[in-house]
Amino acid sequence: MASLEVIDNQGKKPMILEARDIKKYYGGFCALDGVSLQVEEGEFVSIIGPNGAGKTTLINVLTGFLKPDAGWVKFEGRDIAGKSPEELTQLGIARSFQLVHVFPNLTVLQTLQVAVLSRLRRGNKWLSSLDSDKEVLEEALHVAELFGLSPFLSSKSAALPQGAKKLLDVASAFALRPKIILLDEPTSGVSTADKNRIMRTMVEAARQMGIRTILQVEHDMDIVFSFSDRIIAVHQGKIIADGAPKDLERDEDVICTVVGKKECFQTFRAILEARRAKEQ
Amino acid sequence: MEMTATVLNILSSGIFHASILFLVAAGLQLVFGVQKIFNLACGSFYALGAYLGITMVDAFLARGGSPLLCLFPLLIAGLILGVLGPLVERGFLRFVYQRDESFQLLLTFALMLMFEDVIRFFWGTYPRSPKGVYLAFGTIHIGGAAIPVYNLLVIGASLVIASLMGFMLRKTRFGRIIRATASNPEMVQALGVRSSTVFVKVFTLGTVLGTVGGALVVPTTAAVSEMAVHLIVLAFAVVVIGGLGSMKGAFVGALLVGLLKSLSMAIYPELEMMLIYLIVIGVLVFRPQGLVGGQP
Amino acid sequence: MTAVPGRKELVQGASLPRRNWRVAILLGAFLLAGAIWPLVGRDYQVYLTLSFFSYSVALLGLNLLFNYTGLLSFGHALFLGVGGYTAAFLTYKYSLMSMELILAVTLILSGVMALAVGFVCVRYIKIYFAMLTLAFGMLLHSFLMKTYDLTGGDEGMHVLQPKLLGFEFGTMDKMTFFCGPYYYYSLVIFLIALTLMWRIVHSHFGICLQAIRDNPDKAEYLGISIRSYRLRAFVISGCFAGVGGALMAPATGHVDPAFVFWTHSGDMVFMVLLGGFSNFFGPMLGSLVFIFLRDIVASATEYWRFIFGAILAVMVIMAPEGLMGMVMSGWHRLRSLTIKGRSP
Repeated sequence: MASLEVIDNQGKKPMILEARDIKKYYGGFCALDGVSLQVEEGEFVSIIGPNGAGKTTLINVLTGFLKPDAGWVKFEGRDIAGKSPEELTQLGIARSFQLVHVFPNLTVLQTLQVAVLSRLRRGNKWLSSLDSDKEVLEEALHVAELFGLSPFLSSKSAALPQGAKKLLDVASAFALRPKIILLDEPTSGVSTADKNRIMRTMVEAARQMGIRTILQVEHDMDIVFSFSDRIIAVHQGKIIADGAPKDLERDEDVICTVVGKKECFQTFRAILEARRAKEQ
Repeated sequence: MEMTATVLNILSSGIFHASILFLVAAGLQLVFGVQKIFNLACGSFYALGAYLGITMVDAFLARGGSPLLCLFPLLIAGLILGVLGPLVERGFLRFVYQRDESFQLLLTFALMLMFEDVIRFFWGTYPRSPKGVYLAFGTIHIGGAAIPVYNLLVIGASLVIASLMGFMLRKTRFGRIIRATASNPEMVQALGVRSSTVFVKVFTLGTVLGTVGGALVVPTTAAVSEMAVHLIVLAFAVVVIGGLGSMKGAFVGALLVGLLKSLSMAIYPELEMMLIYLIVIGVLVFRPQGLVGGQP
Repeated sequence: MTAVPGRKELVQGASLPRRNWRVAILLGAFLLAGAIWPLVGRDYQVYLTLSFFSYSVALLGLNLLFNYTGLLSFGHALFLGVGGYTAAFLTYKYSLMSMELILAVTLILSGVMALAVGFVCVRYIKIYFAMLTLAFGMLLHSFLMKTYDLTGGDEGMHVLQPKLLGFEFGTMDKMTFFCGPYYYYSLVIFLIALTLMWRIVHSHFGICLQAIRDNPDKAEYLGISIRSYRLRAFVISGCFAGVGGALMAPATGHVDPAFVFWTHSGDMVFMVLLGGFSNFFGPMLGSLVFIFLRDIVASATEYWRFIFGAILAVMVIMAPEGLMGMVMSGWHRLRSLTIKGRSP
């Protein structure tokens, strides 16, 4: 079992998000039972676990969306439990949801413009033309380019193909240039062939935009093990593992719990090895 | 003694108003629960019930009918107007069930505008009142207060209607279908029940509750052209307190709003409708989630 | 692989869509028509056009709320009343005849009123919002009916002919005044309001409103405070409607509580829907058609509201995009036909 104590950092990478002894109940049902974790700046952390393990609840608590019944969540040392989405955005926390959220009647360009002007706190300008704001426009175009959305700039969001909608949803969150972004199943609803491409787009975009820390909930083990710096496995409201991919991939118990007993451990290892062989 | 008398008066008129409001609100809740539309035109139905009620009563009295039997022409007026139910539902509402809420509101708003002129066409713009019916019933003296018998009759009538409705909803097949459609329309359709028939019947029932309510209230207050809009705002407050879609809520909400109304009329009669609107705004602001159920 | 346009082209293309030139020409034509109309049209028709200007200003406000913020107000006649009664008070009670003063006071009062009413209403959406605005409108109506000493009760108040830019046109007869100086004054106010609203709608603020309308949750997660934006939209909307009311009142010479009755709010909503709410110019088309059509219908029957209510019902069911929507789809169809004809 990985150690859950506070890792003493040598002052190099600051701890950006920290949660301690989080408990959350829905009526009599315990969704989170004493969860503690921390995320360092610059890490790509994936949260994995079977359905109903409490992953989405955990993300909701970590993003201040839900107030925990016990324990605390701190972002850069500040308690963020129960803060409104706007306050969180101003603190530098952004998130995306499992279900794709777009502005149906706004074009891709307009959606990104909204995100950018929100970041630049220019929403109060009520008499100046948005389209002649070169700074907002340039940045929106830049983000679109990073996400491969340039061909769709003038399409209404409602008319986009599903994959593009997903990218737009994430792109608009990225456009806020948050310090940390939390993604709830960013590749859900995307075909297996596209998952890798989309993930690579997101990681590269994050790098280019200076978004240093990413926290995601993901089901696809392939994606998780290829991209993460660290993996946290959740089961029945508790953390059962927290470590680097290469440490976790040897832990048969954890993998079988997360992946489900049907897919046996051997198959999982075989897939990983096949991928590594392909990359060489 | 003065105090008890005043309190009893307020109570009796409050519960009377509550009875009327309950009838109308129950109709609204039924329609909202099943068709998910808040029917603004219900105020118009109420007004039509009032005006037609007066016409029927006048005709009845002119033919030598006894004022004490006036409850019957009033009820008949309400029932006759039930024909508006299928007319409105089939002719207008069924086209907007799948649409955005704003359009549903706009449609019922358009209906309200149309009915406003219908009333003006048949009855003109001056307030109308059935002559002397109210007084014919006399008053009962309880605890030093003179409580109009008519009020008690109406309270009784609406209690009867309320229990009939409760029975219908819980024990009859139709009632079960209504409750099922309210919570899961697709399932009901899959079981072979045609939703269009359910919708028409429910809407007609809701209409009749509104028109009967309007007819019954008319001996106590004059029928004025603003009745429709005054009522719909009050009725909205009632269903909000009780929670949109809840029958029990309509009961509780009606009681509360009815009592508030008679209280304000007793304390500040000059302010009348102004106070009512303030109360409604207060209710909408402080208790949008309702007391019994539902969500804002 | 399709060529993705270069950054430069996109920036240029996005900030100067060619469509704007066509619109500008069309607008120029209307401007010209508006300017020479008093010389060409009959007195009565020119007088009706005053209503068109006033209602259009008010509707610009109403549609900011409906189309761009997603809130349908059933009580906007409240603000018409604020403007109208301000004009009445200033000219009749206090003998302050300056139209500029009337407009300034109207702006302030509408703004304050909208702030108070909006503060309560924008916490809610859809039907709750609609009913709350309806209730506030009727609250003002009951107030006006009851306060005979202050506001003349159901008889209302007179509105005297104001001074325009300091000029008193006392020697002119009423019709000449309203079809001359007052007409051009209203036209200018109308154009100012139009330009202002255009800028608002295309501004940073405007796009944020539309984002809130489309998906409030997502807008929140992008850092946009929903209530604050909605409230500001409500205040702006109320101010426009107030100015519309102030413009209307001197032309009729009279205001009474019927001005703020719910059916008047209903008329405004009708105009927006008739013209087409999803187009910036739709509501204006709606008010034009409404005013001239009502004039025709009302001279045939006093029950014009029944007919208009029926038209509204039919439009909601069959043509929710309004007249502008029908025009635009006809235009698109025409264009696609000609393009088809051209391509080999």
